[in-house]
Amino acid sequence: MDSVNNVKSSSHRIRNSIATIIGFVVLAGCATNAPQDTWQPKGDNAQIINNLQWIVFPMAGVVGVLVLGFYAYTIYKYNDRGQPIPSQSHGKPIVEIILTIIPALILTVVGVFTFRGIFELANTEDTEMVINVTGQQWWWEYDYPAQDEQGITQPIISSGQLVIPVGTKVLLRETSRDVIHSYWIPALNGKKDAVPGRINLLRLQADKPGIFAGQCTEFCGLSHANMRMEAIALSQEDFAKWVANQQKAYTAPATGSLAKEGESVFLNQCIRCHQVNGLKKADGTPALAAPDENVYSGAAPNLSHLMSRITFAGAKFDLLNKSCRSDVWDASSETIGGKYLAGVSESCLNATHLRAWLRNAPAMKPMYADPAKLASSGGKYRGMPNLGLTETDIDKLVAYLLTLK
Amino acid sequence: MITPGSKYFFGLTGLSLIAAILYMVLVNPNDLGAVALFGLATSGALIGVMALFTRDGDVYTDEEAVAANAVAGPPSFWPIVFALGAALVLTGLATVSVVFILGIAVLIGGGVEWTIHNWADGASSDREFNEFARARAISAIEYPGLAAVGLGVIAFFFSRVVLAVSKESGPIIFIAVAAVIFTIGVLIASKPFMKGAVTVVVAVFAVVALAGAGTFAALSGERHELAAAAEEDHYDASHRECGGEESKHYDHLANNTVSLRSAVTATIFVKDGKVYAEAIGMTKKVDTITIPRSNATSVMFRNLDEEQHRLVVNLGSAKVAETGVVEKVGTCSQLTGKNQEQVMTLRIPKPALAGEPYSFTVPGATGEIKLVVP
Repeated sequence: MDSVNNVKSSSHRIRNSIATIIGFVVLAGCATNAPQDTWQPKGDNAQIINNLQWIVFPMAGVVGVLVLGFYAYTIYKYNDRGQPIPSQSHGKPIVEIILTIIPALILTVVGVFTFRGIFELANTEDTEMVINVTGQQWWWEYDYPAQDEQGITQPIISSGQLVIPVGTKVLLRETSRDVIHSYWIPALNGKKDAVPGRINLLRLQADKPGIFAGQCTEFCGLSHANMRMEAIALSQEDFAKWVANQQKAYTAPATGSLAKEGESVFLNQCIRCHQVNGLKKADGTPALAAPDENVYSGAAPNLSHLMSRITFAGAKFDLLNKSCRSDVWDASSETIGGKYLAGVSESCLNATHLRAWLRNAPAMKPMYADPAKLASSGGKYRGMPNLGLTETDIDKLVAYLLTLK
Repeated sequence: MITPGSKYFFGLTGLSLIAAILYMVLVNPNDLGAVALFGLATSGALIGVMALFTRDGDVYTDEEAVAANAVAGPPSFWPIVFALGAALVLTGLATVSVVFILGIAVLIGGGVEWTIHNWADGASSDREFNEFARARAISAIEYPGLAAVGLGVIAFFFSRVVLAVSKESGPIIFIAVAAVIFTIGVLIASKPFMKGAVTVVVAVFAVVALAGAGTFAALSGERHELAAAAEEDHYDASHRECGGEESKHYDHLANNTVSLRSAVTATIFVKDGKVYAEAIGMTKKVDTITIPRSNATSVMFRNLDEEQHRLVVNLGSAKVAETGVVEKVGTCSQLTGKNQEQVMTLRIPKPALAGEPYSFTVPGATGEIKLVVP
């Protein structure tokens, strides 16, 4: 009797455990703080995909459960317990015909909705704004060609964060400098590969102001997991302010200030790879970065107006400290524009991460930046190396970077 | 009972686990290689369990595979093939990569065949059954593999023929051969009771004819203009510079640039003596083309005028290190006739200096397209 009870109790334990695991899995789907949730569309294009999901996944789910259930039943029923082999037969036309027709019908229905969605997403006839997006190990570059309709009278270049106006049909022209990357802001559209030598198109449109997180979704090397990005949707008025700020001419720090000394450090060290538009050398000639001579993929993020962004290092780290970050990320769609446009002030700066990055970048993010191991890339870095800056230099640089608004 | 199929996968699981542990200890515990080996072990275990529960999906296994390993099968020649593969790999490492790749292929093929042969050999005491089991396990690999090799051989010999004959004759030969194959196929299909030997004779004749024609064509060399084009080396930098025309065959290798042509960032046209441009994704004509810094980007030039034109890319000026003389920097397409097009791939490392903007122009035509490198 005891042994029977033991078997029953063990069977109950197994059932309870399975039910608990399934419960956790199901509940995980209810998480609200999921910035890369594909089921929370925030724009027309993502909505097209979402509509398709609601058709395809329930059908696939039913089919999957039926097949797996039947499979589990078969394994359980015909488990080898020494029983005789069941009778074997081959071919049953009625069953085969039914099992051919049903999947064909299911696929036809799925195909109709899928192709409709694909054609809708591929339409670029009504584009209102174009942004060039270039992937590189491990960050994204955005350049905005001059577009009078959007108030962009001269090209704008940025990185890490894509800024777009709400309600505008934006077309991204994607490419890559090194390997294949894939651009994905789940709340705004599906994925699109950025392929070297090719231009691939991806539409984005945001319904409301907000910050929408994304991530590179094509394995692209050591720091693929750290290649993040955000799309910042601003109201038309706020976007116009952002454009005006990005087109603002460079302002040199005041003579004698710590920032001015930081500018000198920048000109000695950082300008080898990073461009700041308008920055001039001591002799008054333009300071032109030469990333093609130092970086394997030929470019490094342009740091003009760095402090108008709120992340750095491929959007891996925040430029805002914790409380200021929460203030922006948790802002309502009505207030987020003003908070984002405020940029990074000295009191809000995430100095810990920025200083650590300047002190030893490869320790913060895996990159091919060990000078002893660059033979395969002709002595060029993939990522930012450790520049061996002193703490004083770092103080000066931080002060200088804070002026790049 | 542990079935033969599950033994195989459990063995794979065990070996993968050992390899994963060694990899973690000797190479790098955090490397993707360890993840891949653990993945292989998990997959092997899963398939092994499934094979065990479904008795290898073979209801006859239990009945007939009674005395496994009881009788040794005929000697296998696969170990020799495997050894040959290993020898080729080592030779290839010391000589040329083609031998190394061939060695890897022979090594994998010989290894798979040897493993399956050995597994089938111990499946039962019945040699006939073992041969049946071997054939069933390996046919799914052998037939597609042989078919791929066969198709490769056919494609190779046929391509030699098409490259040797004139451009006009190529399509005609292609159509004629396709028609002959179709006709013979119809004849064979309409005579179901025709002796198999006839089909074999036809197939052997076709293979010999193709191999003979391909060998002869390969020995004869490619047709004149292809040979001339190869000698001219269209993709040599000197041919892209702005100067006198040296090539008469520039676009004969256009098939090499099909991929580039399908993904240009913009197309620049000249029509009625005026220059204009269209960029991919833009609905209106553009007067500025933006190219990311240091990124290889292709631009198409299409001439819609009667007279020949070339596209010129103006990239400012630079001081020549040796002479100190400041010279214009730029590049050109070759002269392009009416309705012809040429693709240019540009990689510009630095933005333009103020006062020296980059641009596209077409000599003899009005207008220019600004080129921006942000």
